[in-house]
Amino acid sequence: MNEQRGQHERFMREAIKMAELALATDETPVGCVFVKDGEIIGRGMNDTNRSLNGTRHAEFVALAQILAKHPVTILKETDLYVTVEPCVMCASALRQYGIRAVYFGCWNERFGGTGGVLTIHEDPSVDKPYPVYGGIFREEAIMLLRKFYVQENGKAPDPKQKKTRELKTDIIPLNIDTPKSY
Amino acid sequence: MTTQQAQDSVVYSASLADVQELGILPKTGYLVPLKTKDELLASRETFDVYVVEVPAAFASAVLNVVRKAIPDLTTVNLQHLRRVVQLSFLPKQLQIQFSSAAQAWDRGSTTSQAVDGLGATIQPEIRYLLVSPTSLIALPNLLDVLAQNPPFLGSPVTPQVFTVPVPALAPTSSEQALQWSQEYWSISYKNTNPYGPHPSLVARNTAEIEPHAGTWLALAELAGEQIKEQGLGENIGCVIVDGTGKEEKVIAATGDTRWCSPDKIASLHRDGPGNVMAHAVLRAIAMVAKKRLRIANGPLESESTIVSSDSTVPHIFCDDPHTPLEHRFYLADNLTPNGYLCLDLDIYVTHEPCVMCSMAILHSRFRRCVFGRRMPLTGGLTAEIARFQESGIDEKKNLPQPSGGLGCGIFWRPSELNWKFLAWEWESDGGDEDRTGAVEDSIQA
Ligand SMILES: [Zn+2]
Ligand SMILES: [Zn+2]
Repeated sequence: MNEQRGQHERFMREAIKMAELALATDETPVGCVFVKDGEIIGRGMNDTNRSLNGTRHAEFVALAQILAKHPVTILKETDLYVTVEPCVMCASALRQYGIRAVYFGCWNERFGGTGGVLTIHEDPSVDKPYPVYGGIFREEAIMLLRKFYVQENGKAPDPKQKKTRELKTDIIPLNIDTPKSY
Repeated sequence: MTTQQAQDSVVYSASLADVQELGILPKTGYLVPLKTKDELLASRETFDVYVVEVPAAFASAVLNVVRKAIPDLTTVNLQHLRRVVQLSFLPKQLQIQFSSAAQAWDRGSTTSQAVDGLGATIQPEIRYLLVSPTSLIALPNLLDVLAQNPPFLGSPVTPQVFTVPVPALAPTSSEQALQWSQEYWSISYKNTNPYGPHPSLVARNTAEIEPHAGTWLALAELAGEQIKEQGLGENIGCVIVDGTGKEEKVIAATGDTRWCSPDKIASLHRDGPGNVMAHAVLRAIAMVAKKRLRIANGPLESESTIVSSDSTVPHIFCDDPHTPLEHRFYLADNLTPNGYLCLDLDIYVTHEPCVMCSMAILHSRFRRCVFGRRMPLTGGLTAEIARFQESGIDEKKNLPQPSGGLGCGIFWRPSELNWKFLAWEWESDGGDEDRTGAVEDSIQA
């Protein structure tokens, strides 16, 4: 059991690294890795701002990488580790692809598709349901998102507005996994 | 890009006239606005109320007595239910039930004499009074209260109370109000919809897009067919239209390329779902994004700078045009500069988009969506729920039968999903051949 937990935490650390990379490039800090037989076969980070495409979520970026090298069927033996709960769109894509299991950090209160808002992973569907496990390094995932909002607000031209947004270290639900909209 | 193409892209605006020149025959039919999740929930919920028969002249007096006796009445919403109703305005089954139990108000009723002043032989006008939800007062208590007040006080007529189910929430259209009035109780309808887009907003937008919706859907069909003919995908197509200007313009037209391999040829093995990220809707959204990047970076910018540094990625997203038709609209530089995602754009799809694509439309901030054929097993836009028990499960495939739908209603769940758009399904008037049927029910569009 402990060994398994260590595995999950190891892969979630890798997902967090991807989220940190996103933060460094002004993308919403969501990162993920796909794992088959203990090996990472794909990595992704949110890419909506650079691509001007609101659907380029971390999961999609990693999936594109995987499918460039492997047949679609590989996903049936693959698990996803993602820092933020998959949104409704990604949750549906993962189910259509036949993902084996999903592990995530914090919940997505705004667009979550695996329990946060809807339960696309287990609702009636033509595709096989998949299990989800949330809360792995939840605080770290949320802190990254907080840093992002502070960083983005730091760029706001109005200094008054800036002052009201300080880095908060308490963990409260956040609106996340959404392209920034100014 | 060749010089010729570059010149074309400047001239070509992809307007309605340009599309008509392609020889596209508009589909004939009309738009039906989708019901929202909340509307459907509201339409299913009922609760029981007490109804009592009284002479018309006593209706308001009895209502006052009831209000005093049941202070909690102010906490329930009965505004959509007429409180005092004539027999002829009630549903047939209630008319039969109530008239067979009618009270003899004319015989020896001193109270009715007092009111009409014309003597005891005249039957007073009768009204049926909706008293309160049954949850607010026990029947014996209500009977007590009524018996101690006029017209029952000192009268040989004892109060007779019926229990009737009524819709719990207000109707969202005049048709629904009429239907409920025939089914449950007399309903009043105020031109409003607390569970979805305001009826006048829907009416205005329907009128605005209906004239050309058949053309855009026909174009979407053509885009889907052309790719299907190459063996690259299912027969599903999508068109994105900018309807904000004087003239509607086609921003993108795409087919589904789920069976296209990473080296851009038709896959030999059609294993499972194929490439889910190559659904027509996702490809069209991706092309809008690439057009925005092209505008931002200048028309002569090489395409390689606007795709990811990993050169394998774009093939999987299938966001390059595959057919001359896709190319034509992809090359047209007709997007308003500095726009945000697909804000204010409209999307037309031959089939109801799957849950993934429905949410992609929401993420992209579209304004309006129209689809051709409903997909009860896979569609994400409609809010109707399949009745699995009633319809049963297809034993062979272990699939729910296509009776209702998944019940997602993703277009309008503002309290949960943070964005909403208007959505319609296309109802063909039967005049043209239905070419959307080639896609199996279990396919994710
Ligand atoms: Zn997502
Ligand atoms: Zn789809």
